[in-house]
Amino acid sequence: MDINELKSEWVDKPFDTVSFQIDAHEMVEFAEACGETLPQYTDPDHQDFQAVPSYTSRFHGRRALPEGFPVEMEQSFDGGKCVEWKAPIRAGDTITGQSHLHDVYEKTGRSGGMVFIVHRMEFTNQRDELVSVVDWKMIKKLG
Amino acid sequence: MILDLHSHSIVSDDGRAKVENYCQWIRRKQVPIDGFVLTEHRLYDDDSDYSPLEDEFGLLILKASEVETEYGHVLVFGVNHELRAAFDFGKIGLEISTVVKESERCGAIAVPCHPGRPKVGMCAHIEVRGEVEGVRVVETLNGGSRGNENELAAALAGRNGYACIGGSDSHIVSHIGRCATRLPDGIRDMDGLVAALRAGDCEAVALEDGRWTSTS
Repeated sequence: MDINELKSEWVDKPFDTVSFQIDAHEMVEFAEACGETLPQYTDPDHQDFQAVPSYTSRFHGRRALPEGFPVEMEQSFDGGKCVEWKAPIRAGDTITGQSHLHDVYEKTGRSGGMVFIVHRMEFTNQRDELVSVVDWKMIKKLG
Repeated sequence: MILDLHSHSIVSDDGRAKVENYCQWIRRKQVPIDGFVLTEHRLYDDDSDYSPLEDEFGLLILKASEVETEYGHVLVFGVNHELRAAFDFGKIGLEISTVVKESERCGAIAVPCHPGRPKVGMCAHIEVRGEVEGVRVVETLNGGSRGNENELAAALAGRNGYACIGGSDSHIVSHIGRCATRLPDGIRDMDGLVAALRAGDCEAVALEDGRWTSTS
């Protein structure tokens, strides 16, 4: 597997787009599940009611990887998500998430070699404002 | 002076610490170090300018790299354009002989880190591949070591007459300064640090009862 070839062929090319309606009740449920207590996240009547900053971590696209991506991920494991807040998400918004591979890289650790595949979803609202960026790392062990 | 020679910021893929937060932690917790070196994984951070933080917090903040070779991970101090053209810092499985020789040629120095660690430390690979020529300094105190990894590293250094350094290998703020290196007073930049390391004028130290203690 040549990582540089993988990167040049697959990184930064959108491969999936999905849309979500933002519902106040689900926003509150998610906030409470996170242990959030601030009214701006838990009270739909609050004047600044909005989704908690990590809200977009709940959303998935239709594909984890582009069609034809040459790395088998059956034996991979989830390396977690990093959510970057950009702007408030409000009840009633229509959020669109577009997926691309942001990075592919190798590293070595105590357990040996690994390939990291970073799936990035960029979320925009109905005004095309970027509201959130989520990087999801998938890790495949080598050898 | 005391420097933590091995740390990672958010510039590294697995780093969770902002450099400003390292500085705040050092001052708030009175960690007795004079500065630290950011040894980012598989890259050299050309973009970040930490001089305002150096001035604000009175700390020396230097930049280096941690690259990956067939003998495990290696810190490279004194990275410059010439050295970055000599090999691809982003690759894993670099030849350690290339890293060591090119570092010497370019005025830098390569220091194998956590050599006692499985898979990514030099000791295990020496058993299979043989000794590495040109190494003169190794990291014998690493803040992330488990079990007897630091003891293996110290034994390696003792057998080969390597000089020793220490570093926290911190990826989160509260780990900075877990162990460090005693160096001559007056180092102000990377050139000074490289000169000290090349001269073997360095000592791995651990903090015990508030005092830095040599382990060699």
